[in-house]
Amino acid sequence: MDEPHLKRELGLIRATMLGIGGTLSAGNFVIIGYAASLAGYAIVPVVFTCGIISLLTMFSYAELGTAIPLAGGEYTFSKVAYGGFISFLTGWFEWLSNMFYAALSSIGFAYVLSYIFPQISIPLVAVVVVIIFAFINLRGMKETGTAEVIITAIVLAVLGIFVIGGWSYIQGTPPPSSSSSPVGLIGILAATAYLFELYLGAEAVAAAQAEIKNPGRNIPLAIIISAVVLIALYTSVVFIAVGIVPPDLLSQQASPIAFVAEQAMGPAGGILVTIGLAIAGLAATNEAIMAQSHVLYAMSRDGYMPKALCKVHKRFSTPYVAIIVCAIFTVIFAATGFVNFVVYAVNMGFIIGFSIVNFSVIKLRKIAPHLKRPFKAPLYPLTPIAGIAASALLVLFIEPSVLILGLELGIVALLVYYIRMVGHHRIRIAFGGISLGLGGFFAFVAYLLGTNSIVLHGVSQEVATLVFYVLLFVSIIQVLAGILNLIASDR
Amino acid sequence: MKTRRILSKIVGLIQTAIGGLTMFFAFFLFYNLFNIQVVLGFSAEGIGLYLWAFIIFGLLSVISGLILFYEQ
Repeated sequence: MDEPHLKRELGLIRATMLGIGGTLSAGNFVIIGYAASLAGYAIVPVVFTCGIISLLTMFSYAELGTAIPLAGGEYTFSKVAYGGFISFLTGWFEWLSNMFYAALSSIGFAYVLSYIFPQISIPLVAVVVVIIFAFINLRGMKETGTAEVIITAIVLAVLGIFVIGGWSYIQGTPPPSSSSSPVGLIGILAATAYLFELYLGAEAVAAAQAEIKNPGRNIPLAIIISAVVLIALYTSVVFIAVGIVPPDLLSQQASPIAFVAEQAMGPAGGILVTIGLAIAGLAATNEAIMAQSHVLYAMSRDGYMPKALCKVHKRFSTPYVAIIVCAIFTVIFAATGFVNFVVYAVNMGFIIGFSIVNFSVIKLRKIAPHLKRPFKAPLYPLTPIAGIAASALLVLFIEPSVLILGLELGIVALLVYYIRMVGHHRIRIAFGGISLGLGGFFAFVAYLLGTNSIVLHGVSQEVATLVFYVLLFVSIIQVLAGILNLIASDR
Repeated sequence: MKTRRILSKIVGLIQTAIGGLTMFFAFFLFYNLFNIQVVLGFSAEGIGLYLWAFIIFGLLSVISGLILFYEQ
């Protein structure tokens, strides 16, 4: 991957399929069940609203994509608009979001597969899928573009059959009430925050914009067409789903759409949908692993991350260190098998990313008014402001533990940035002091434990002795680390 | 000088490992994997605090360890 000169080879159809395909993950069709438990029959307008919120930001993507048609998507936009820490933060959350998305896709695949093989271990299957695709990415895949188009076409066909088959089934039955929700407005907003993830992936067009022919025309068209197709597709899938199976029953299914398909079209329908969604899950996992490794590679190349991450494999020409690092983090989250946590984590990362893109549009309109913009976001500045406001509202409904994780990841980002960008010596002194403090604290706790001043309840004497030695060891290492950091020379 | 550099590498590696293991432990604790909360007698009410403390300690250790390990 020696910075190849990218050729503009993608036409409108392939670019649009890229936008649609990036979004069709198996996980998306698994989370519909839980969202139905939050919003009831109101899930149909919720899915539509999520699409409209996403479309607002897609206008910003289209404007920036045509004005700055270089590789990198939001990371590139923020680098041009803001630079410095903001662009680093964008890349950081772009990487993390793709990492969580890869975990979600692999878990989603496992859940979909469990419809046919109920005895499988969800975390184990998810981890195996991530490892397999990490190896595939290590070796490099030359024909991913064509494969992506074929896979997207297959998944669209399966979902088309689902919608048509489901529509035939519900003919003659009364339409579901769109106003009823088991927990009212809060439930609807919570479901909107939860389902925001459905439309993520359409911005893949922006990431690949350096390879799109006639960018001034094709980038905005591909982004907007894919967003509109996805709104129509998801809304009709969910409409059919709750039209056939009540939301409370839907929320109890490991693979809700396959269950609905079985009700409408018999066992063959369930299996067909399972196969289609499983293919979508694998493709999305592969794409997310590839995307996150490319972001890490780009950040490393720009000096924001350790140089080791932009090492390229001699034989396969792939950023192997970045892929391995990405795979390790993805495996950790995939191993939980917890869909909801990962969904909120994906949403959090992309909400931050979307907000930065909208802010970038506003900033660039101010600082570069004469920049050539073949496409301009309609109703400016209402569209980017509405996108930012919607994102801010959705953050309020993200699970608190994920917000804490987001805050911590933001702090880590700040630390990493300053370690890379600010003089090392001051940071070493700061960390030397912290390590000495931690060493002293652990030595004190070990002393209290050793003298039986504190007692571990419900723990045997052997375990307490082990804890004492572990604390002693940790305190020695921390003190040594503190001293070594403090006496480091200023170079 | 060379001895100090080797020592820095060893201590940095161990400190990073301690930090990483602590974060793993926090993760296991939060999700009660292998029923770890019961086995180690952690009260469910204090899990949030433990999680916070372990993650902060882990992060600080990993960063400090990496600085030592990669020192020029």
